[in-house]
Amino acid sequence: MVDKAKRVPKDRSFIRSDELRNGTLEGKPGVFVPLRLPSYRALPLSCIEKFEISIDGKAADSEGMRLVLNGISHSIDSLPYKSALFWWVFDPAELFVPWPEPLAAGEHLVQGVMADVEPYMTVGRFTFYYQAEKQLAVADGI
Amino acid sequence: MAEKPVFKVGISFHSFASEYLTYVYSFEDLMEMAGSLGRGVEIVGPSHHRGFPYVTDEFERAFKSSVERYNLIPTSYGSYADPFMLPDHNLTPDELYAYTVPQLQGAAKLGFPVVRLQYFAAPVAERLIPWAEKLNLKMGYELHCPLDIESPESQELIAQIERIGSDRLGLVPDCGIFGRSISAHHLKMGKDLGVNAARQQLCQDLWKQKLTYAQAEERFKADGAGKHDLQWLEMVWGSFGHSEPSALKDIKDYIVHFHGKYYNIVNGDEPDLRYEEVVKTLVEIGYTGWMSTEYEGAQTDSYAVCKAHQDMVNGYIKKYTA
Repeated sequence: MVDKAKRVPKDRSFIRSDELRNGTLEGKPGVFVPLRLPSYRALPLSCIEKFEISIDGKAADSEGMRLVLNGISHSIDSLPYKSALFWWVFDPAELFVPWPEPLAAGEHLVQGVMADVEPYMTVGRFTFYYQAEKQLAVADGI
Repeated sequence: MAEKPVFKVGISFHSFASEYLTYVYSFEDLMEMAGSLGRGVEIVGPSHHRGFPYVTDEFERAFKSSVERYNLIPTSYGSYADPFMLPDHNLTPDELYAYTVPQLQGAAKLGFPVVRLQYFAAPVAERLIPWAEKLNLKMGYELHCPLDIESPESQELIAQIERIGSDRLGLVPDCGIFGRSISAHHLKMGKDLGVNAARQQLCQDLWKQKLTYAQAEERFKADGAGKHDLQWLEMVWGSFGHSEPSALKDIKDYIVHFHGKYYNIVNGDEPDLRYEEVVKTLVEIGYTGWMSTEYEGAQTDSYAVCKAHQDMVNGYIKKYTA
């Protein structure tokens, strides 16, 4: 039988405890922030409504953000139309946020809000807001 | 003398949501635990496998090998209607139908005999029946709070089931509709949300008067309730109903599965839900399907609390079949 006493529960914060990555996406410089879906169930991307991210207190430009899920990058504006693509509860994702300069080595404070919809509440399209705050290190470049 | 056939008690994996989502238990761990929790397995489609609303061949093979390994019996697959998944309109009947068919196919692929439907699927239920026949499935609308058996909404679903007259379409009552009182866990959640003692008392009084949510909401607003008060009120009304256990007799021919929802076990009983009367009635009406233990209480050792629920239900089964 499973001995759960040996396992420590991990958090379900929408910002995962993983490294930040400096990089480029589709020709633009930025930072990849590690994400997970905080819901208890998979949701279609049409139920992902909003991300707000700041790094070291400086807000990222929401215009150029992209959700990178299972190797495909999606503009936030396109998510309402993507009801056939699902984000599962254990699928790690990344949020690409435009950032002009690479983040310096070491730890950075990442704060944010994510909004998603549980699409079956009796009251209609019901938005849940999740707040997260993590101190994350930047991955070593090669 | 042959024993009278009675219903069986298995497990809904929703009971383990907290530990599953926080990486304490893997899906395979849940399957292993199910082997000593009555062997009947109910899963929640979009929680427990990737690829929803489809079931991949990989998951089918892994699931079936675990079923073999632990000697399990698939009982019910939790499907979703998700009518509000699109920002610009609610799903049309054609869209609901297109979303549900692969879920039925997936459930059958995994060997489930029953699919739980959300009541939002009602506009397409009749169109789904040929699929249920082809796939040898039964579909059941979940009667979850606020859908008491006696509510107008449930009565409409029952009238539809009677009109269609197919044994492929029935009901999955959820035990939360048989409320006796509001649980200590829910009162604590209210306190944590900042609902003051007077308003908690008002909520309990309104609940005892069996008001609808809309009526209770009006009284709460008149009392000056804020957003968090109303959020908590809705949670209470969404967790504890006022169905009479004897009302199960009126729907006995339509029960295809049963959700053993509960929030707590104290001294071998669920203090806030009318389990003894429910089990007694299920025995009386000759229900021989499955009840899934479905824990939705405070964070705890879910395996132990599921075991306690099953001991309670099996104890009552024994009492009323003796």
